[in-house]
Amino acid sequence: MDSLVTGNLRIDTRVGRPSGPIELLWMGKSNDRNPALALAPFFSQVLASACASKLPVELHFEKLEHFNSSTITSIIKLVEDARRSGVKLVVLYDKDIRWQRMSLEPLRVFANDLFELRPV
Amino acid sequence: MLNFNFSIDLPVRSEWANVDLLRTSVQNCFTAIFSDIEGCHSLAMVTGELLENAIKYGDWSGKESCFRLKVWGQGRKAHIAVENPVRPDDNGASEVLNILRWIRCFPSANEAYRARLLQIAQGPANGGVSKLGLVRIAYEGDCDLGAEVSNGVIRVTAERDF
Repeated sequence: MDSLVTGNLRIDTRVGRPSGPIELLWMGKSNDRNPALALAPFFSQVLASACASKLPVELHFEKLEHFNSSTITSIIKLVEDARRSGVKLVVLYDKDIRWQRMSLEPLRVFANDLFELRPV
Repeated sequence: MLNFNFSIDLPVRSEWANVDLLRTSVQNCFTAIFSDIEGCHSLAMVTGELLENAIKYGDWSGKESCFRLKVWGQGRKAHIAVENPVRPDDNGASEVLNILRWIRCFPSANEAYRARLLQIAQGPANGGVSKLGLVRIAYEGDCDLGAEVSNGVIRVTAERDF
């Protein structure tokens, strides 16, 4: 699966172990005017691949410098789409970085068997 | 006691690239004043969200595509204000006032933010207008928000202690 590079944002994809998760490694800044234009088709591709291979997806935000609120909206849509597709989604963030903790911890309102928040 | 009073006041061209230029500039300015890096990042986020709203929802049909950013500190308070033109027939300004009222209906900004996340999840698949930025400013930025409309200009102000 290809990486996504859009504006100041780069998301690398990594599949490690054979039955391990598809990891999306966020880097840089997600500050596009409409990030959904690039993120939505990329997420669809990732979910389709995860569905086909029955693998969970991990979103790694630990290295991300900044995202705008429009990006949060796109992430919420991904959480919903993953749930509808039966794909397990895990969000990992750096608990020692205040903005990551503040922005992402409230996603716990969506926690269920298919969605997990993991401070690291 | 040190004097932390400061003031930044500048016209900004309504171009998307200016959001990040100014967000990082404000972050650098605050970092030069204070040692609280996380707090500086938070105030920069507030600046970025206000600038994004101005560019997205301002009236840029006139000759001058500029708006105004003001950032100042007085006593123990930091203030960030953005002023931009709005169309008389556009309900964007009243939407801003409505969402500020909506935030105040909750016991805390934290609860308002979580409620907004749930609303977005239940919204249309294409996203629509989330207005999450203002709720994020109140919650993550820990700011009091105010807004006023006068002579075709909306001024949105965020304030917090530092």
